[in-house]
Amino acid sequence: MKRRVIAAGIALTLGLTATACGEGSGDEESATDGKGKTLTVWIMEGTNPDARPFFKEAAAAFKKKTGADIKVEYQQWATGQKKFTTAIEGGADQVPDVAEVGTTWVPQFAETGALVDVTGKVKESGLGDDLVEGLKDAGTLDGKQYGMPWYAGVRSIVYRKDLFEKHDIKPPTNWKELTAAARTLKEKEPDKVAFPVAGGAEMFATAFIWGAGGELATEKGGKWKSAINSPKSVEGIEYYTGLATKEKLSPAKVNTWTEKEVGDAWNKGQISMAIGGNWTPKAIVEANPDLKGKLGAIPIPGKDGGMSRSFLGGSYLSTFNTENKDLAWEFVKLLTTGEFAAKWAEQTNYFPGQNSELEKVAAKKDPLVEPFAKQMLEAGATVPKTKAYGEIQASQVVPGMIQSILSGKASVQEAADKAAKDMDAIFAKDE
Amino acid sequence: MKPSKTLIDGSGPDAGDTLTAGRPAPANPTTDKAALRRRRRVELTRPWLLLAPALIVLAGLLLWPLIQVGKLSLQDYEVKFGGGVGTFTGFDHYADLLTSGLLWKTVLPNTVFFAVACVGLTIALGTLVALLLNRLGTTWRLICSIAILAAWAMPAVTGTYVWIWLFQPQDGLFSQLAGAAGLIDPATTNWFTERLPFYAIATVNVVHHGFPFVAITVLAGLLTIPKELYEAGMLDGANAWQRFWKITVPTIKPVFLVVTILSTIWDFKVFTQIFVMPGGNGSNPDVYNLGVFSYIEAFAKNDYGAGSAAAVLLTLLLLAITIVYIRTLFRQGEEDL
Repeated sequence: MKRRVIAAGIALTLGLTATACGEGSGDEESATDGKGKTLTVWIMEGTNPDARPFFKEAAAAFKKKTGADIKVEYQQWATGQKKFTTAIEGGADQVPDVAEVGTTWVPQFAETGALVDVTGKVKESGLGDDLVEGLKDAGTLDGKQYGMPWYAGVRSIVYRKDLFEKHDIKPPTNWKELTAAARTLKEKEPDKVAFPVAGGAEMFATAFIWGAGGELATEKGGKWKSAINSPKSVEGIEYYTGLATKEKLSPAKVNTWTEKEVGDAWNKGQISMAIGGNWTPKAIVEANPDLKGKLGAIPIPGKDGGMSRSFLGGSYLSTFNTENKDLAWEFVKLLTTGEFAAKWAEQTNYFPGQNSELEKVAAKKDPLVEPFAKQMLEAGATVPKTKAYGEIQASQVVPGMIQSILSGKASVQEAADKAAKDMDAIFAKDE
Repeated sequence: MKPSKTLIDGSGPDAGDTLTAGRPAPANPTTDKAALRRRRRVELTRPWLLLAPALIVLAGLLLWPLIQVGKLSLQDYEVKFGGGVGTFTGFDHYADLLTSGLLWKTVLPNTVFFAVACVGLTIALGTLVALLLNRLGTTWRLICSIAILAAWAMPAVTGTYVWIWLFQPQDGLFSQLAGAAGLIDPATTNWFTERLPFYAIATVNVVHHGFPFVAITVLAGLLTIPKELYEAGMLDGANAWQRFWKITVPTIKPVFLVVTILSTIWDFKVFTQIFVMPGGNGSNPDVYNLGVFSYIEAFAKNDYGAGSAAAVLLTLLLLAITIVYIRTLFRQGEEDL
């Protein structure tokens, strides 16, 4: 059954590309005939440990198909947003033709008019129905889709299977069990962090806000309003920070940790259980081969069972408003579908942005992949889709709130109220 | 042709005669006048011509961005594809900035006290090291110079990570030492979340990075002081302390003024060393300084106007301090004359 679907999909894509070449105006024809043209492509560094061979291969395939060359320029996540903003100011001469754009950046870039609305093209290519819903949604504003979902990741819980077995702990299925498991781990493995409450890791905290039924912000009639200090959100924050402040399951050093430091601690074997992305288990084992076969993963449990929703983040491949935008779309299609999409997902340990590819990954029944796939398909969440939320993230509102609670400078309610005030100020500014 | 040349460079054998005798050039007085005018013109334009390359570079690199920042601080600026749009809002950003509690309670005190501490410690440590280097023999002076230059050459980011690593809560060297000495409980102490310890670590970092420049510059000054002055002082019975304050300091005061001005400017606008530290990137508003504050406003919140206003404030603050220093420097120069 599945094979037939894929076969049909491939046939469809092939058929469409074929017709795309043949149909209509001369414009269309020159779009796919890229002889002598070069596309500039910006790719974020670090997702794929070594992206160069991948792009060499992709460029060769593209050259064969269209005659155009590909020039890949690698960008850093830390400085990427600023670099894009500067290029956008510079206009068509300075922006790349194709770029990897983090989903939370899409609203900001789209608002400037730099990104091409590809809704029509996606529909034409018949790709629309196969896109992972949460990811497609993240890059769609007012019904306009600004690029193709490329890959995605989600956070669940990664734990030391060997320690759980040794101390007879069952993987938790609700928050009460999560606390109990962490308590046992702290007691039996006192030199490891039982459950890091990392003050600098925004997406650790949001899982518990969503898990308690809260929201970061809500939209009403096109206007956003913070909801981070609602009773439900506060309940989630209270539980999460309480693991450190009341239960002492996370020592003070973790208060300023970001996900990077959590990863470093994993590599040193100093963690028993933590929130972690689907890309982390493999990275941990690579850095610390002793842990091979000793890791397990489960979706983040919900408050009373089920799952807590967790941030579904990822990257888009978007085309910019340059004179090569039609040719650029061809390259985007090449990378986000079929062979290259699967290969990229495999090399990076991220999930592809298409349901059909994602199901293939889930079907492999890898115990370190399946729980994440489940989390992604059933309990993924996105942050508010507005330029303002990108600014809220960049000004560290949520980590600031968590850190002020962890360091005892504010009560949960006070900190949440302040975060709400900060969020609303940014929402108001951008209206 | 000949007289004019004589007038310009005054090098002809009869130049003095021509001028002092008041004997008009017999041939034609008009050429003389024209020559005089030309000479004046050359005198006026030559220095500017010579300065022009430097001025053009400075204007391009400094003046133009300065004007842009000033303009931006009076606008609400929105990034648009192919060039942003600014709407003039008058002095709104300045009004918001100057009435914000965060500025007066956190940002300015952090900036000012941190800078004062850093400048004071940098100058003191740098001078002590310079005095030490001055007394050393050639070999040891070379070894010590290389050691301190290594501290100077270290990129700010790298240096900061080293200090973060040393002060890492619980696992860092200093945390373990303080824990072993019973000063803190390493499991419950995180130095990076509190304002004072955070800035104490930042101060150590900045002083460590800044003192080599002071040491080298002051050493250069020390080497110019004639030995006779110290010999005379010793004959008069001055001890080392007195010799330092009565001979060394007054003699190379301009050197101290220059390093103080430069250190002040650098330490007021410290950004990297704060931003890279845990919590320094905006998640802990208690540790904002003007640089980080301006960055967060402009590049995190995309509020370029407010960010620019903060940057202009920092510039004005530095300008005021520099003017005071430079006036002291010039007054010093006049006294010497």
